[in-house]
Amino acid sequence: MKTDKNMRPPKWADRLLAWYCGNAPIDDLHGDIEELFYADLKTMSPGKARLRYWQQVLSLIFSYAIKKRKARVAHHTYSHTSISFAMMRSYFTVGLRAMLRNKTYSAINITGLSIGLACCLLLILYTKDELSYDHFHVQGSNIYQLTCDRVETSGQSKKFAIAAMVQGPAFAREIPEIKSLVRTKSQPTIIKKGTEIFDDQVQWVDDGFFSVFSFPLLSGHASSVLRELHSVVITPDVAARYFGTEDPMGKSLDIQVDGEFETFVVSGIARPSPANSTIKFRILLPFRYLEEIHPDNGWHWVSFQTYFLLNPGADPAAIKSKMSKVYETQAKTEIDEMRSMGYGDRFVWGLQPFESMHLNTEYEGVPEASDPLYSYVLLGIALFILLIACINFINIAIAQSLSRSKEIGVRKVIGGQRIQLIGQFLGESFLLCLLSFVLAILLAQLALPMFNVVAEKQLSLTYLWDTNLVTGLCLLLLATSLVSGFYPAMVLSSLNPIKSLYNKVSFSAHYLSRSLVVIQFALATTLIIATLFMHEQFSFLTKKELGYNDRNLLEITIEKAIMDKQLTRRLKSEFSRVPGVEMVAPRNVGRFRRPVKAGGKEFPAVYEHVDEDYFSTLEIPVVAGRAFSKDYPADSISGAVVNQAFVNEVGWDDPIGKTIDYMDIPGWGDKKLTIVGVTKDYHFESLKEKIKPQVFTYESRLPLGVFLVRIKPDNIPSTLTALETTFRKDAPFDSFQYTFKDDSNREMYRAEARWKQIITLGSILTVFISGIGLFGLTALSTKRRTKEIGIRKMLGASSATIMSTISLDFIKLIFISFIISIPLVSYGLSLWLNNFAYRIDFNVQTYAFAALLSVAIAMISIGAQVAKAAIANPIESLNQD
Amino acid sequence: MKGYIGEFEELVLLTVAALGDDAYGVAIKEDIEKRSDRTISIGALHSTITRLEEKDFLTSWLGEPTEQRGGRSKRFFELTHKGKVALHHVKNLRDELWGLSKAKLALQK
Repeated sequence: MKTDKNMRPPKWADRLLAWYCGNAPIDDLHGDIEELFYADLKTMSPGKARLRYWQQVLSLIFSYAIKKRKARVAHHTYSHTSISFAMMRSYFTVGLRAMLRNKTYSAINITGLSIGLACCLLLILYTKDELSYDHFHVQGSNIYQLTCDRVETSGQSKKFAIAAMVQGPAFAREIPEIKSLVRTKSQPTIIKKGTEIFDDQVQWVDDGFFSVFSFPLLSGHASSVLRELHSVVITPDVAARYFGTEDPMGKSLDIQVDGEFETFVVSGIARPSPANSTIKFRILLPFRYLEEIHPDNGWHWVSFQTYFLLNPGADPAAIKSKMSKVYETQAKTEIDEMRSMGYGDRFVWGLQPFESMHLNTEYEGVPEASDPLYSYVLLGIALFILLIACINFINIAIAQSLSRSKEIGVRKVIGGQRIQLIGQFLGESFLLCLLSFVLAILLAQLALPMFNVVAEKQLSLTYLWDTNLVTGLCLLLLATSLVSGFYPAMVLSSLNPIKSLYNKVSFSAHYLSRSLVVIQFALATTLIIATLFMHEQFSFLTKKELGYNDRNLLEITIEKAIMDKQLTRRLKSEFSRVPGVEMVAPRNVGRFRRPVKAGGKEFPAVYEHVDEDYFSTLEIPVVAGRAFSKDYPADSISGAVVNQAFVNEVGWDDPIGKTIDYMDIPGWGDKKLTIVGVTKDYHFESLKEKIKPQVFTYESRLPLGVFLVRIKPDNIPSTLTALETTFRKDAPFDSFQYTFKDDSNREMYRAEARWKQIITLGSILTVFISGIGLFGLTALSTKRRTKEIGIRKMLGASSATIMSTISLDFIKLIFISFIISIPLVSYGLSLWLNNFAYRIDFNVQTYAFAALLSVAIAMISIGAQVAKAAIANPIESLNQD
Repeated sequence: MKGYIGEFEELVLLTVAALGDDAYGVAIKEDIEKRSDRTISIGALHSTITRLEEKDFLTSWLGEPTEQRGGRSKRFFELTHKGKVALHHVKNLRDELWGLSKAKLALQK
């Protein structure tokens, strides 16, 4: 066999030659070299003959002879590949006619594509805005934000993008690479204008504010505008609010600082900060003022955003190590003191590029910081939708190819080449995409107001006008038309002209269009399942029993009462007398988590100072022992109430009368507390957090600044007004800040509510587009099967059998896609659900409901067509030709 | 330069004429190789033939497929009138030059 094979010309050489020459006639040339090969075999070894054959093949490939022959085939008398205007016009006309002839299918394609493209447009806008945050500062690349990493002894760390008052100046003084610094502190306040009182927001900033950041000033000089202690810079809308049309420069504003009104003189007008700025301001006051009235040399109570402008080329890592040296020397006494008091927390100071902070959720204290995951997921959904629309296009184009087969046949017979046909069909899909794109812009413009609400942005389509984005959009358009048009173009152009002209095209892109439908519905069901579970989790979050009653419960924070025990008492009794108020219970403002020793164990517990009415006002049941009471004077000295989580943590059977050692309560010393009662656990934090061990103390000396007021469900507005009037008697100029507890609880799940909305919208769109696609596909396939259906009916099949035969075909596909989507969506959802300490479980009912829903959607999409085909009179369908 | 033919082209044309009814690729190649003692590649030969056809000096037709060549047919070539004229033209030019030659072209024995 081996010799036999060697006695023949090398196969690969032949293949190469055949491939290179294509359909050019080279039989005679091929014959020549083969004859030479056999002649060679007589005089030399087969190996050498084969080598010579290869040489001959190559000489032919590079010869003028073949080049000429190939050129001659390519240039059929009636064809040439160069672009001619007449031909283009003909393509255009033919394409347009095809589009108009099949109005339904064109409408399906255009609807799908324009929705998909509109989603992409909106998401591009969104992403652009997210990425452009804080990038407008001219010196942006050299602005860094000071960060604070608080590492607890347990190794847990908490990261803040804020610092105390001293770090900024201390670091700037000692480290030469730091050119200048800006600290900012935003605060709600009250402004008096004549007799009128306004609530407003002020921002204390260092005088380098306008030279470090690029916020343009309309009046005033950047370097000096905030130098005066009593100067204020405002935006034009603030000026309009307080001064109307008058020129505000040099006018004065009475701003409340620490309960007293101080006069500040307008020294500059600044253009309002753009929407994509982390730093937002209305009224800017000199930070130095704040520093003078509240001097603070502490290093560890962080509350100010601190920004550094570094020298160009400075190394942040080097500065970081210098900062830690400065901290260790200058804060030494404070650190030692902290250690001696038993605090083991370590503080690490770092720098983060300011421009990157918006998309960094690691650090606390960046207003409006957002998770880049939003952008990814949103963009993903938009691309899903576009992909589904492209699949519709492919499926419909292929199923419809029969109607174009004659045209293709004729084109081929008179010399149209495949590449020209491909160009023609790609051109058609491009035109359709272009039309959809125009519609998409309109759709996006229409949907923008709603989108802005959901996304909490102020976007406008004009943002798209930038070279990169316009290029990007053109690429998107091209990509869409290629993805949707390429495969149909290949299939259509490959039709055999003879078969198509004799109506013998048997078309079987069955597998492809089936798999595409499966992909579509897998995407759609993924989103359906995600939506259902998200709704379930969300209603779980908002409806779960919290362990206390949050309805008709007001939370009023009274700043003055924080420092004033007398006021706390007086307000409590006054509030209690207001008609409509059922009960009042003050508590301290913060919730601190401190280590505690109990039953030989040491663990962190959340500590709360409460009033004797606290548990009954919140309706928190006491399960063992009793609540605090005025009747037991010892309660206010050494009594404590703990929650069940605390008892479980220690492992006590009978906690009443046991002692706990609370180490860190300020002014508490080393006093021991005795447990007098145990309450049921209640969710004082969001459901993302597990209920932590909690200790309540009842220290009647301590002032309490948060008032929890239980009110009657009727006449709420008048109750509120009465409460405010009562409050005003003591603090005529303070703002009356209250929230309904159930509102603020709901507010904790804002992000979740947003996700829910987005996914719901996404799934509605995907379902809609896949639905209309399926509709189109069924219409075409029942049309193709008209005859088959007619014959079945003639042979006695009932309409019902036929309907179920056809629908079962599709139901099978839906089922497969459902199976595919389950693991995907379950994985994604479990990632999301892991954010919650309290969450729903995956349950079969929801999956089943989702399955039912997708089948129902499929049935709605195909139902009418299938019924029409099944009911049709078989005589008519069989009489067709 | 109307009717100009190169040396190799002239060789191919004359060989086609010499081979008569049997002038096809392999035969022409082998004849030239035998007579002129040089190896030519099939690609080069066919390129020249193609050019001669373009200049209308040669015409061709396909023969019947033969077993020997794996069922592939031979393409036979024949001189056209124009080809013959061109050859004559070259020959006349040569003869004229030979006749005019002042130096003795006879080779010494």
